[in-house]
Amino acid sequence: MKIISTTVGSYPRPKWFREYLRKVEGLQKDIYGKIDENVLEKAIREVIEEQKRAGIDLLTDGQLIWHDFLAHLATKLDGFKMGKLVRYFDNNLYYRVPIVCGKIKRIGKILNDFEIAFKIDKNLKPVISCFTLAKLSKNEYYDNFDDFVMDIAEAMREEVKELKTEWLQIDEPSLLYATKDEIEIAKNAINLISTKEKKTILMTYFDPADKLLPYLLDFNIDIIGLDFVEGFEENLRAIKEYCPEKICIGIVDGRNTKMESINELKEKTIKILDSCQFKEVLLSPNTGLEFLPWQKAFDKMKIVVKLKEAIKEVV
Amino acid sequence: MGSYPKPKWLLKIISDYKNGKVDKKTLDEAYRDAVKAVVKDHELAGVDIIWDGEMRREEMTSYFAERIEGFVIYDEVRVWGNNYYPKPAIVGELRYKENLAIDDFLFLRSITNKEIKIPITGPYTIVDWSFNEYYPSKEDAVYALAEVLNKELRALVKEGATYIQLDEPAIPTHESEIEIAKNATEIVTKGVNAYIGMHICYGDYSRIFPEILDFKIDQIDLEFANRGFEDLKMLKEYDFDKDLGFGCIDVHTRRIEKKEEVVNAILKALEIVDLDRLYVDPDCGMKLLPREIAFQKLKVMVEAAKEVEKMF
Repeated sequence: MKIISTTVGSYPRPKWFREYLRKVEGLQKDIYGKIDENVLEKAIREVIEEQKRAGIDLLTDGQLIWHDFLAHLATKLDGFKMGKLVRYFDNNLYYRVPIVCGKIKRIGKILNDFEIAFKIDKNLKPVISCFTLAKLSKNEYYDNFDDFVMDIAEAMREEVKELKTEWLQIDEPSLLYATKDEIEIAKNAINLISTKEKKTILMTYFDPADKLLPYLLDFNIDIIGLDFVEGFEENLRAIKEYCPEKICIGIVDGRNTKMESINELKEKTIKILDSCQFKEVLLSPNTGLEFLPWQKAFDKMKIVVKLKEAIKEVV
Repeated sequence: MGSYPKPKWLLKIISDYKNGKVDKKTLDEAYRDAVKAVVKDHELAGVDIIWDGEMRREEMTSYFAERIEGFVIYDEVRVWGNNYYPKPAIVGELRYKENLAIDDFLFLRSITNKEIKIPITGPYTIVDWSFNEYYPSKEDAVYALAEVLNKELRALVKEGATYIQLDEPAIPTHESEIEIAKNATEIVTKGVNAYIGMHICYGDYSRIFPEILDFKIDQIDLEFANRGFEDLKMLKEYDFDKDLGFGCIDVHTRRIEKKEEVVNAILKALEIVDLDRLYVDPDCGMKLLPREIAFQKLKVMVEAAKEVEKMF
């Protein structure tokens, strides 16, 4: 069985970059300021270097100019305007509610920052979202939610087609709270985006996915990402019952500075690995690391890497 | 309410101090002068119960965390966009180390005869906005911090404090933990012989009612202006048996309210509580407003309150 260590997406900004953005964009930002591409490249390079230094196998660009999880995607698409600030799930982190006021269309590159990152390193996975973006938006245009989700999916499909990556990650925390009908809509959307050319991870976090897991088995995705920090028992029971072939084990707490003991994590991870025959396993924090101070994010990645080494001895 | 815009010259001196251009003595003098200016603004506006405008506080979590043993602050984390805050981490047993508001209170007492209200960030909010590396659960950490803050509240009363406000904006954000916040409030106020208010801004108030009415506090202070006074309807559904802190000035807009609209709002609040149980104040701390606008808003608020008093 192959084990790959990875990060989930977001990463704290280097201090100097934080200050730079404050300078060019201000605090109460409404529109994106003029960010010098060379400066952004330098910041992304630093975050990629941190991940490599920690020994992570599969890297992300860190989403360094994503003002929140939705804004970067929404502001790049035609049809959205940005609304007021709302709490992002149960975090002390806020996002501006995207308001749909016209037909959603892709008008140009969405992941321009990823493109810069991909020039620095090819061992990178892009991160997008579809259902969650729709779910957390305010719909003032579409008569039905189905059309809204599918138009975002079409935009994402076009974007993904242009990406020359081996991997793709689709973050869908809102799927954990979706109704049966919504899951069906999400399935059609994700199936439109995913392609055989890319290994596709569908990532869930902030809560257990035990109720969602049986539905996910019918999605055209390769790897199911589960949060084993917030839902260890529930997710363990679910994978025992449904046995997905490939999973991403989000086992290191990306939202607290407390450093876990490797032995404890090893014990938990072995329980997960023993629960069914996996073909491929990714090992990661449960969430993006931007919830943490810079240094602690690095320490957490070290834990992921050490955990992988500890597990390799036994499997 | 609590915070008030810092004078521009104070910001300059704070920045100079950080860059090593002025010494601690100069900075302290500037803080004291700034408090005098804030007090004068409040006196001129005619506010009855005042605080020092939180001239020394830069942030409502880390200010307390830095002064309590068991906390460290590694670095800033993001709240949204380009806004960050120094998020504390609990790394050891929480213990009382030094006074949190006593010196500020005593200085303010020495320069004004006005009634003083001392705002202290509550234990639930401080823990909710911190990392917890030490206590087995969030609940344990909240109670431990509540014990520490209780020491401060008792000491404040010993020094003559009569009115303390617990700021707990985090309570509505986790509906399932309201019992923890309630127990913590009991611990914080244990043996504290003073009038206790609780200020809660942001969030969905339907998540704290009716539970908040069982908290061991004298007054519930909420923001109403920013929400178009919609929540008054909800309050009517309950047997509101506490004093009401009535946020009737919107701190998120620079528009200065008209006296009539504030009068009308206060009259609506009187449908919930009687005049002697009503405290009018701005929705929240005013620190993000330009100083002149903050002053004008306070003036309108006081004029409106006086007009309503005349009607009864």
